[in-house]
Amino acid sequence: MATTTEAPRQTLFLRNATGLVKAWSTFDAFLYAFWSVNLVTLGLYGMSFVYAIPDGQLLGAVLLTGVLVTFLVLTYAQLVSVMPRAGGDYAWQSRILGGAVGFVLAITGWWFTLWLWTPIYANILVVQFFAPLADTLGLPDVATFFGSKTGIFVSCLIVLAFVSWVITLGMEGYARIQRICFWLGMAGLIAMIGLLLFSSHDAFVTAFNREAASLFGASGDAYQATLKAGGTTGVSFGSFGFTSTLLLLPFLAFYLLWPVWGATLYGEVRGAKEYRKVFNAMFWGLWVTVALVAVIILLIVKTIGWDFYYAANAAYWNSIFGVAGAAAPPVPIWPYPIMLAGWLVPNHLFQALLIAVMGLWFFGWAGTLFLSSTRVIFAAAFDRVLPEWAANISAKRRVPYGSLILMIVPSLVVSALWAYGGTGLQGIFLWATGVIAITFLGTVVAAAILPWRRRDIFENSPISRFRIAGIPVITITGVVSAIFLLFMLAEWSFNAVYGTSFSINSASPIYFGATYLVAIAIYVVARVVRKRQGIDLSRIHREIPVE
Amino acid sequence: MRVFYATDLHGSEVCWRKFLNAAKFYDADVLICGGDMTGKAMIPIVEDGDGYELTLSGISQRVGRDQVAEVESQVQRKGYYPVRMTSAQVAELEKDPQKVQTLFTEQMCKTVERWMQMAADKLKDSKIRVFVAPGNDDEMEIDEVIANAPRVELAEGKMIDIGGYEMISSGWANPTPWHTYREAPEEELARRMEPMLRDIKDMSRAIFNFHPPPYGTSLDEAPALDENLKPLHGGRALRHVGSTAVRDAIDKYQPMLSLHGHIHEGKGITRMGKTLAINPGSAYEEGMLLASIIELDQKKGIKNYQLVNG
Repeated sequence: MATTTEAPRQTLFLRNATGLVKAWSTFDAFLYAFWSVNLVTLGLYGMSFVYAIPDGQLLGAVLLTGVLVTFLVLTYAQLVSVMPRAGGDYAWQSRILGGAVGFVLAITGWWFTLWLWTPIYANILVVQFFAPLADTLGLPDVATFFGSKTGIFVSCLIVLAFVSWVITLGMEGYARIQRICFWLGMAGLIAMIGLLLFSSHDAFVTAFNREAASLFGASGDAYQATLKAGGTTGVSFGSFGFTSTLLLLPFLAFYLLWPVWGATLYGEVRGAKEYRKVFNAMFWGLWVTVALVAVIILLIVKTIGWDFYYAANAAYWNSIFGVAGAAAPPVPIWPYPIMLAGWLVPNHLFQALLIAVMGLWFFGWAGTLFLSSTRVIFAAAFDRVLPEWAANISAKRRVPYGSLILMIVPSLVVSALWAYGGTGLQGIFLWATGVIAITFLGTVVAAAILPWRRRDIFENSPISRFRIAGIPVITITGVVSAIFLLFMLAEWSFNAVYGTSFSINSASPIYFGATYLVAIAIYVVARVVRKRQGIDLSRIHREIPVE
Repeated sequence: MRVFYATDLHGSEVCWRKFLNAAKFYDADVLICGGDMTGKAMIPIVEDGDGYELTLSGISQRVGRDQVAEVESQVQRKGYYPVRMTSAQVAELEKDPQKVQTLFTEQMCKTVERWMQMAADKLKDSKIRVFVAPGNDDEMEIDEVIANAPRVELAEGKMIDIGGYEMISSGWANPTPWHTYREAPEEELARRMEPMLRDIKDMSRAIFNFHPPPYGTSLDEAPALDENLKPLHGGRALRHVGSTAVRDAIDKYQPMLSLHGHIHEGKGITRMGKTLAINPGSAYEEGMLLASIIELDQKKGIKNYQLVNG
């Protein structure tokens, strides 16, 4: 119908009206996406498991994941552009797929599954902060405590207290803290990169053996002993198996899947430019992380040794998981690359300072653990699917106590299960990424069918002109993202290497099956109860005719 | 009695049509439009030879004469005013803000007049009552247009009996960074409310229809802005921007129901003592009518309520 031309004159006249804000800073939005794919907390932790697929090419897998997640970013950025105030997965799915589907997928992903992330965060806090800091400062008893069941549970309590504090503080206050954490954390990261860049492999071997003896009482050549304990002989950075590399993707999803976490940014009187801003923020949050991970991987290869990195992780996790016949690691601590880089400087105070500063990557990030959850709970309460009190906020302190109770109390229970329930129950937690991937799957399917299901909204959005061979781009990116997510879900379900497969982890399908059933039950009960009260939940998303 | 409440349509013709159709769709007895019904932007559709040029959502287009009506309808759907003009007229407007203002007022009044006629046509055989209380973004000139409408009642500054419930309305808001048309300091807002509050006989059956939400609730959180009106922290940081005068009135008088808008992002429901306060939010640009349905019962007061995305 129309041809695109250059606009030569003023194309819009605005008057004084509420809400006409200037464009928000892309850097601020980038910061949020960058925190979400946190390369230190989630990234280094998640990549410590890739030793399980020794002939996979990690750098290639990181780049491939980056490319595939870019399709997810494209899909979410387009959804933001079409329905900017929709409030994320719950509202998009509800409006496109229907209220029941939206509720079940969002509530399992953003409410029930976030309980499981509390002990995961707590475990990261232990292995990246409490344990290495305590050992470095000569407090092995404190480090041992945090490695115990009670220590892990105490760490869970600390995480919950911190998250609750952030929620009461408000996002504006926390955003300021995040900014400080970002710059100091980046300074720490640059220091780590510098240490690895300007030190030789021999210097690292010497430093490792020195600190292994000094901090952990290891005797002899601890470096060689770690290589032997890991049992990953023959691992080489250059080895490449295509299938094995693909199998690394579900590990990397643990951190690279989340640039879309804060996808509900918006702008009023917006245009196609706004779409690009949303996309740029998430895209660069993802790709700056991918680039930094690539640098860190190459520096590990150069200075620490790729075979050693695999061996140290294998030795540590084998000892934690009680793998039969596995040798005890000479250095009985998670091989945190930050800590290892710090050992290149023979000064415990400096080493402790580096660990503490890099701890800001945790504290700048962890506060948002329940942020999305509280929003989904609020939305479900406003839709009358959950009781009214779930959206209650205290009058004095502005604390959303209803949703906080719904997050914290179950999180305490699952934290206790994690700490005291044994490795059988811990298998459930490995699905924490998978269930959110299912929620994302619902959203990308909704995005793919949007041009047909909500034609009116799509046709009047800035993205309606984005087509390839006549097919809307949102459909194409949605389908590619869906295939990517389905591949990972299939691998998590049926491949034993991840510890999530149904064949070796029977507790997981039961647990998650139960959570989906509970979500369905809540919705059905809400429909019945509200109907008796004269409220028809099916009309929430029913469109009023225009003519 | 079933009340349908929507607000902040901001010139969206689709939303206004849905608002009128909501009566039949939800079987509502009363329709209340909470204010800010006029648009924020004007899009020049510039004559160029045998066609027209315009830019919508950042995309420049050239359309033929036979397509211009469709394009105008797209512009209206978004809540903007399409105005056909020559490039010389555009240049003239660029130089003279006063002329822009005059044209805005003219477009607004013309559109509201058309909307009022639409209401008269659609609801001519029904007993449904329709109320509009213009909001802070609405210029004063539209009051007269609404007051003259046959099927729509202007609610601003009045106490109105709706089936035994007393409703008082005001679209005036506490000061905003945009210096809009119906803004006043909190003390003045309180003074404006006083005579209406005095008229209410039974607060347990009273409805406050005040455009700004009460300060310090979940209904009044908007993105924090810097001095250049740029959202802070990527738009994630929120601040309370509601009215303390409205809050004080609710806290003191405890009406049965309090209806608000103004803050599009502040969609929600909150209890303030005996008062149920609602802000259905707004998604006018998507052509989606966010609204609330409140069922009133002679004995119970509020029987039930629901937020809908119509």
